[in-house]
Amino acid sequence: MSVDESGNGDGDAVDVGEPDRSLYVESPIIMATVRVVAPFVFTFGLFIMFHGANSAGGGFQGGVTVSTVILMLAVAFGVESTRDWVSPERLVALVGVGVSVVLLMGIGTVALGGAFLEYDVVPIYHFTKYGIELFELGIGIIVSGIVTGLFFGLAAGASGEGSADRDPDDREGLL
Amino acid sequence: MVTLYEGAILALLAGGVFFGIVAAVGLLRLPDLYTRAHGASKTDTLGAGLSLAAAAAALGSGLPTVKVVLLLVFLFITNPTAAHAITRAAADQGIEPWTSEDGGDGE
Repeated sequence: MSVDESGNGDGDAVDVGEPDRSLYVESPIIMATVRVVAPFVFTFGLFIMFHGANSAGGGFQGGVTVSTVILMLAVAFGVESTRDWVSPERLVALVGVGVSVVLLMGIGTVALGGAFLEYDVVPIYHFTKYGIELFELGIGIIVSGIVTGLFFGLAAGASGEGSADRDPDDREGLL
Repeated sequence: MVTLYEGAILALLAGGVFFGIVAAVGLLRLPDLYTRAHGASKTDTLGAGLSLAAAAAALGSGLPTVKVVLLLVFLFITNPTAAHAITRAAADQGIEPWTSEDGGDGE
């Protein structure tokens, strides 16, 4: 798919010696496996995030696991189409939501009269556990968004598409 | 004196170690990417699978066993798919498979 676009768009710019610049060609086996595995990996990432409240796990590991779902989708269905589906604006908004959640958890307790991240002041039963889980969820959203963005940046550099076709002022593709 | 159950676990573990060694030998001795992927993925899947089966049997009944069995299932799904993806990408990049004319007499 992406090969056709680069071939039609600027046929002369593509190196003649390497007609197939794309690393990823759609394969029914990989697509079927990703369809089966991706929801389980996503659930497992969320499990790791929430598990960080009272045992091994946490937002960083869970965030990386969740972002692996996007990596798998990109491997199976093509980097370009996945990048179009997960637009850079949405990624930035996602990271912004994560930062907002973490800041809200930290400063919200200060606003309620406690110290930074002092969950005891919130008048909800067992809020310390829920607070840690929300905090980890925020960290997970940030980490998954940033890892996905780094992956798209690396993929744009590796395939040559997106970096060559795009004019230098457009920084969005390198997010 | 080992019981029959412990003997079954030991047999599973021995099988896992055997296929792990076969995978290592194949990775070191086979000539090119495709044969290496072939040797490593098949035997590695079975080696890890047998080892995990031994672990599941040793853990008895309980939640850890369920987790190990889930790990086993996903390993059996993802490991061959990863090998397929690697070899497919190599074929797309134009890497020629090794044939006996390429230097079958020694390395």
